[in-house]
Amino acid sequence: MRFRPTVAETIAGVLLLLLVVAALWPSLLAPGDPLAVSHADAFQPPSLAHLFGTDESGRDIYTRVVHGASESLLIGVLATAIGIGLAVVLGFVAGLGPRWLDFGTTRVVEVLFAFPGLLLALLFIVVTGPGVLSSTIAVGLATAPGYARIIRSQVRRTASAEFIEAARVLGRGRLWITARHILPNVTAALFVLATLGLGQAIIWVSSLSYLGLGAVPPAAEWGAMLAAGRTYIANFWWMTFFPGLAIVASAAAATVIGRGIQKRNRSAA
Amino acid sequence: MPSRRFSRPRAAVVVTAAVALLLAACSPGGGATTTEPSGEPVTGGTLTYASGDAEPSCLDPHVGGNYPQALIATQYLESLVSLDEDGEVVPWLATEWDASDDGLEWEFTLRDDVTFTDGTPFDAEAVAANIAHVQDPATASSTGYLALAKIKDVVAVDDHLVRFEMSAPDSALLESLSQVWVAMESPKALERSQEENCAAPVGTGPFVVDTWERQDSVTLVRNDDYNSPPADVAEATEGSDLPYLDSIVWRFIPDSASRYAALQSGEVQVIDNAQPDTIKSAESDDAIEELDAPRPGAANRIELNSGKAPFDDERVREAFIRSVNVDDGIQSLFFGTAERSYSPLSSVEPLGLSLPDLFTVDTDAASALLDEAGWDERDADGYRAKDGERLTLDFPVSTNQSIPAEQSLFEQIQADAKTAGFEVKLQPLDLSSWYGVLAENEYDLVSAPYTKVGPDVLRILYHSDSITPAPSGYFANLAQVDDADLDELLTQASAASDAGERASLYEEAQRIILEGYYILPLYDQQNHFLRSSSVQGLRAMPTVSTPTFAGAWLVP
Repeated sequence: MRFRPTVAETIAGVLLLLLVVAALWPSLLAPGDPLAVSHADAFQPPSLAHLFGTDESGRDIYTRVVHGASESLLIGVLATAIGIGLAVVLGFVAGLGPRWLDFGTTRVVEVLFAFPGLLLALLFIVVTGPGVLSSTIAVGLATAPGYARIIRSQVRRTASAEFIEAARVLGRGRLWITARHILPNVTAALFVLATLGLGQAIIWVSSLSYLGLGAVPPAAEWGAMLAAGRTYIANFWWMTFFPGLAIVASAAAATVIGRGIQKRNRSAA
Repeated sequence: MPSRRFSRPRAAVVVTAAVALLLAACSPGGGATTTEPSGEPVTGGTLTYASGDAEPSCLDPHVGGNYPQALIATQYLESLVSLDEDGEVVPWLATEWDASDDGLEWEFTLRDDVTFTDGTPFDAEAVAANIAHVQDPATASSTGYLALAKIKDVVAVDDHLVRFEMSAPDSALLESLSQVWVAMESPKALERSQEENCAAPVGTGPFVVDTWERQDSVTLVRNDDYNSPPADVAEATEGSDLPYLDSIVWRFIPDSASRYAALQSGEVQVIDNAQPDTIKSAESDDAIEELDAPRPGAANRIELNSGKAPFDDERVREAFIRSVNVDDGIQSLFFGTAERSYSPLSSVEPLGLSLPDLFTVDTDAASALLDEAGWDERDADGYRAKDGERLTLDFPVSTNQSIPAEQSLFEQIQADAKTAGFEVKLQPLDLSSWYGVLAENEYDLVSAPYTKVGPDVLRILYHSDSITPAPSGYFANLAQVDDADLDELLTQASAASDAGERASLYEEAQRIILEGYYILPLYDQQNHFLRSSSVQGLRAMPTVSTPTFAGAWLVP
């Protein structure tokens, strides 16, 4: 089948590509120093010299948004990895383990699932204290129950398929079956989950920073910039608008791509 | 073909959440209409006040004693004396006073026609009970406790004559007594548990605490029997029946953008802690007026903790102060609403000493000083180091006590200090965590407001005795200045009865503090209020600059 991306997917793809470039080589897109204070340039509206304007300390918002990508993206990717990693373990334990283990794990996941994810993350941060690392882990932990449920059902469905039955009859070991048959069948779903989850994780991480529980000043992190700018929203809109736009755009791009992959998987299946 | 609609639930949730986050602080915009100020006071109506300060955990300012408590307590508590616009002490609940020649005994004649709002008469016994309450360690007072430290005993001579016996002469006694942190409360009410008294303190003021919805608002209602304004107000409002308002709803809106938006929309009529940019934009708005009331006592300053390394070395302190440029930051962040200070004292204090020359930025000198002090290595990140240890400064910031512009200023200081090789670690903390860090001595830099009437605030902030915590656990000498000469000067000054001698002692004391590079003065404690132009008769107390609504009215 030929790969034909839609317009939305093309835009999303370009955006994600830009995001990755911004995250890995920020100086390519914005050569300035995101922390450079310039009193004389404080509160400048968007102009050619400062595409997105400047903030209260005269720092260039465009530079800060670009440099903020690595923080947001890195935390987003790490948090998603933690969430999915944890979920894979839980999902496989529940999906393949004995009935009592399945019962136990599923109940625990359901209890965790009853809490809104952000609340779970906040709970974790209250215990460990704010910071980039703890907010990453917090978001990872908070997203794990949702993924675990999906993975468990995928594992269960695959495990009851006829070709697994056949492999078992042929005397293949449990580990071999898991590694060779079940895991590959779950990966496709995992990939979609991860892409969709990335968008969500970026938002959550920004939310935590916005609440002052993530990145500490003067870090150029989108949520923190949003929080700093809202004080001035009555007079200087650009301080909140552009970091906000970056969050919306990257979350939306990740979601569009995720759904695109999901759609193709489904039609391929 | 699968649908291309972008409206699947999960996608929708993600996008909605993102948009919600973006718009979280959107302001509704102004729609208030202009009203011509009218001269005649109008009776009745409810005024809504929005405070950006931390909600007090106790409405009785004897307990702890911070500015948010003073703001609200000014509406329902009154003191023995007050100050007029010229800073002269005027009668309030006490009509006359007299000190003995040795300064060890003070007699106050009290008004005999005042009752607390619970019906208890105001008399000498009540004064004694209040001083005892402030001094009782169980009350956990800090501001009031420190202000009244020299009162040894209070004797009720007769019903309306009370005598204070002092452990040492106190030239600041009247100034101390004018503050709301030592205001008079009903002795009957004070006998209740602290929890009950905190929820609804009983005073003699123009308003009475009615209800307190935690995390939301306090409702104050008119004291119909009010008859005890301070002497200067009584004279000015002769013949009128104060207060004019029926009630005040005292709301807590910590977010400054929402607070300003609430004022613009007419939802509230007065806000405090106004942001510099909103003060600036309100200048051109006829519907909003400003009230600027710099607080007395200390200027806002950054204290350098001289009690531990690296700031136990004066050269490092000087290097830090010489390497940060705060002038430009104040200019751009405060839009001309704050003026740079070079004094430990507020600009409203006549005895303040300013030494601008000590604070000129000189990065070369700073660099030489650091080399001399042994911080001559540079590590991989460009920070200075000594014996492999980085020159790191912990700077806990109380987000409840400093407006965002000030926090931005701290970030700029952080950037400047980085150039000089200092790693400043800014830690935004809520009030209780912040107190915790201070108590653990885990700070090198800190900015803590301290308001007190008169230069005696210097004794509280920089006498070595103040390194010992008050009963509340708070210690005021955060710079941890421990200088015998300074102690001596401050002790003498607070006992000096001669005005000229007092002034020169305080000048000498301030010189030691400034020249020792213990503090980096920033500006007066900012105390900007914005009011709707429908609010008339609002004024700030000449004591601690809290607004009083005793003579305020609403133009309908």
